[in-house]
Amino acid sequence: MSDNINLKLFTFFIISINLIFTSSACRKQDDLSKILIWHQMRVDEREILEAQLKRYMQLNPGIKVEALYKETEELRSGFIIAAIAGQGPDLVYGPSDQVGPFQVMDIILPLDTLFEQEFLEGFNPKALVYFKGNLYQIGDKLGNHLTLVYNKDLIKSPPETDIELIELGQKLTVDLNKDGKIDRYGLVWNYTEPFFFIPFLSGFGGWVMDEDGNPTLDTQANIDALNFIKDLRDKYKIIPGEADYNIADVLFKDGKAGMIINGDWSWAGYKKAGINIGIAPLPKITKTGLWCAPMVSTKGYSINSNVRKEKIPSIINLLKFLLAPEQQMEVTKQINTMPTLKILYDDPFIKNDEIMVNSQLQIERGKPMPVVPELRAIWDAMRPSYQAVLGGAKSPEKAAIDMQELALRKIKEMNE
Amino acid sequence: MKKKINNKKFIKKLVTHLVLIIFTIIAVYPVLQVITISLRPADRLLSTSLEIIPDNATLKSYIELFTNRPFLLWVANSAFVSLVVTLTGVVFASMAGYAFSRFNFIGKKLGLLSLLVTQMFPATMLLLPLYIMLIYLGLINSYLGIIIIYTATALPFCVWTMKGYYDTIPYSLEEAAKIDGCNQFQAFYKIILPLAAPALVITGLFSFMAAWSEYIVAAQVLQDTQLWTLPLGLKSFEANMTTEWGLYGAASFIVMIPVVILFLVLSRWLVSGLTLGSVKG
Amino acid sequence: MKRIYKNIFIAAFVAPTFLILFAVVFYPFLYNLVISFSNMNLRHIKDWQIIGFTQYVKVFTDPTEPNFYAIFLKTVIWTFVNVFFHVVIGVFLALLLNQQIKGKSIYRTLLILPWAIPQYIVALTWRGMFNYEYGSINLVITKYLSLPAVEWLKSPTEAFIACILTNVWLGFPFMMVVALGALQSIPHELYEAADIDGANWFYKLRNITIPLIKPVMIPAITLGIVWTFNNLNIIWLVSNGGEPSDQTHILISFVYKAAFNLYRYGYAAALSMIIFVILLFFSLFFMKKTRATESAY
Repeated sequence: MSDNINLKLFTFFIISINLIFTSSACRKQDDLSKILIWHQMRVDEREILEAQLKRYMQLNPGIKVEALYKETEELRSGFIIAAIAGQGPDLVYGPSDQVGPFQVMDIILPLDTLFEQEFLEGFNPKALVYFKGNLYQIGDKLGNHLTLVYNKDLIKSPPETDIELIELGQKLTVDLNKDGKIDRYGLVWNYTEPFFFIPFLSGFGGWVMDEDGNPTLDTQANIDALNFIKDLRDKYKIIPGEADYNIADVLFKDGKAGMIINGDWSWAGYKKAGINIGIAPLPKITKTGLWCAPMVSTKGYSINSNVRKEKIPSIINLLKFLLAPEQQMEVTKQINTMPTLKILYDDPFIKNDEIMVNSQLQIERGKPMPVVPELRAIWDAMRPSYQAVLGGAKSPEKAAIDMQELALRKIKEMNE
Repeated sequence: MKKKINNKKFIKKLVTHLVLIIFTIIAVYPVLQVITISLRPADRLLSTSLEIIPDNATLKSYIELFTNRPFLLWVANSAFVSLVVTLTGVVFASMAGYAFSRFNFIGKKLGLLSLLVTQMFPATMLLLPLYIMLIYLGLINSYLGIIIIYTATALPFCVWTMKGYYDTIPYSLEEAAKIDGCNQFQAFYKIILPLAAPALVITGLFSFMAAWSEYIVAAQVLQDTQLWTLPLGLKSFEANMTTEWGLYGAASFIVMIPVVILFLVLSRWLVSGLTLGSVKG
Repeated sequence: MKRIYKNIFIAAFVAPTFLILFAVVFYPFLYNLVISFSNMNLRHIKDWQIIGFTQYVKVFTDPTEPNFYAIFLKTVIWTFVNVFFHVVIGVFLALLLNQQIKGKSIYRTLLILPWAIPQYIVALTWRGMFNYEYGSINLVITKYLSLPAVEWLKSPTEAFIACILTNVWLGFPFMMVVALGALQSIPHELYEAADIDGANWFYKLRNITIPLIKPVMIPAITLGIVWTFNNLNIIWLVSNGGEPSDQTHILISFVYKAAFNLYRYGYAAALSMIIFVILLFFSLFFMKKTRATESAY
């Protein structure tokens, strides 16, 4: 009996040793025919990518492409660690703001000379991420932008100005069962991330930094914008007292909010939850006459600087396939993201689809997201005061001063 | 007189049960929440209602998990890694603990202390150098790398536990065995080890848990979806702002099951085995 | 001859453990030590140089908000409050479970659950439970206790308390199991003798129970302190990376943020070394005070 157990243990041990070593041995043949991509695509995007890669491998026998998902933040820190150690994937896919830190750390390659001029000219310039004079990322999706998403069952025509927004919001915010608790809000969004505050900031004529990457937060525009959202909550009472991403999301999914400010990534989920959604550009601020402009960025590919020279041609070949019109259009049709090739903008799908038309309008009105590494320090500097204003712990005037001061210090800490 | 005592006893029992029930509810409720999330339709982390079984409850997430995702592969990978770590953890800890318990030698105190000391350095900062080291050793993207790391995470606690338990076993048992002709190793293997079963169970359980739910190291080392362990798969449902909460909840629940079963089955030994190296023998 | 055999035996038994620990901990530790004297950061990620004690000076003098001393104080509070409740609740439940009651093993198993569940899963659940409007905790507070709802995650103090509550929940089962084991090894005769002397419950607790479980609890508490001090998961996940306003950080989450969000590797390494030294001195002091390693001799 006990011999039997011993035998089983022994067998297990032998199998284990085999498994342990085979898995590490497989890797040894780190050859030119295997291309590894790290990306942070969400599930629906991931599935399309997998299908496209499968097609690519059929067209190019002998080449093996592998895609590995990592969450945005982990992708970033993981790639940095791997690249410092002289390793990492061949291609890294993500939002354009990762270009700044990666370039400064010298862990991605400039792409200018690797692609022909005509090829690059086919792209919307917003999708080519230049930093310090060189091209470092080519986007396959444009946007990642916030828009106004509204519930068509509750709203016939979306608001065009801040005044209309407030009026409509007040009509929608109701206490259905008269228990003193609001059962439906006019508008919701994520209060914890300053990314969602940017449209208001730009609507009042402000921005996060100047051309040289210096923060510009101590401005009247910032104060006005903070006062505006404070009024939405306290004066007009059309937004809830507290909301992070998940709460805002659930409120809208449950039909307990008429409108939500959210990005293009969220649309599929709302359809899945059975909400009849409409997309509209964010409203105009009457006082300034400016449209609320969200940050617009691209998501795309960069090449690891540790890649061996001999491997670059096959990587370029793969990139050209992934960025080709057919592949981009496939993604657009399935998940409504905006492609990056100019010729696709005349495609009937984009010209005629209501969501795509409004999405494109919003992208045009948006402002490109800065790619400098300082942006991270600015987010970190804005977050506390922004949250404190919405939490009622700080006045907008004080918040603007604090944001600026903190941003300057964080940038100094980062760069020293 | 007697009735009074009985009454008092009864009330005491009642209060005890009441307190225990309250604490049990507190212990179980957050766990039930995970199940609730897994049953909600359309990926809601939160809900505006509070039922344990949500409206429109659906098993879709579970079906999706087993049919469309390589979930079973992750389970198998994790089970393999965890079992190897458990085995190595138990073997090494039972040996080291024995030496620490039974012998006096130079550096014994230092050795015991250094086990504790390894727990003091912020583990996240070890990630970068560990990764560089694994590259030099050619252990990136292999189970051997993470198995060694997991074993190292679990060992200090396990050695302390084993030592503590051996201390409670009288030395006379080995002396008797030696008189019967056993050598030191035989005395350890044949007499002492079986007696230390409760501590071995703790050691095994702890090693298993260290490997079963570890995420950060695995994410850095395993770069091939074929090699993914359960926590990596679980995390892949989590994306910036578009987490598939239903799948996340369902997978979380399934991750918990084996550990809970282990605790359930082993809870008898658990209590007697956890002695952490101090009771004098 | 016998002596040599004994030494070989010891060496063979101890070696595997220490080889593995040496491999996994030693090199990374040295690496960090070196990095802590360097300027490794965003601008010098590959071409870092040794710059001496600058990073250490920065840790102590930087006017970061909150600064090192404030975070350290918070870490001490975090550790003390957590371990205190782990032990008190753990021992209390162990005392209840050490009686003869029905359903003992069911209670015991269910009470161990928080220990059995991976932390990163349950932390997110707790975050949801602390939600102002829809979280179950506020529901209990307002409905059953008739108190005003608490804005758990919005203000620094409440968010910190939320983290502590979560971690207390996670940590008490471990102490309960340790205490239960210790209680079971106390001979019944001691209590019987005390009963004959007419001792009350409190007297027995103070003079029999506590002294006898102390030697088992002290190492567990030491370990608990070190673990809690360095527990990144809960703070990071429940407060979503130090929110609000980076006010909920303890030292370990501050290190994580400096290294992985702000790329300040040199600074983070220096702070890690300081954490290490603090814990080392504390543990040595604590164990000397309580003589926990007495039996190691």
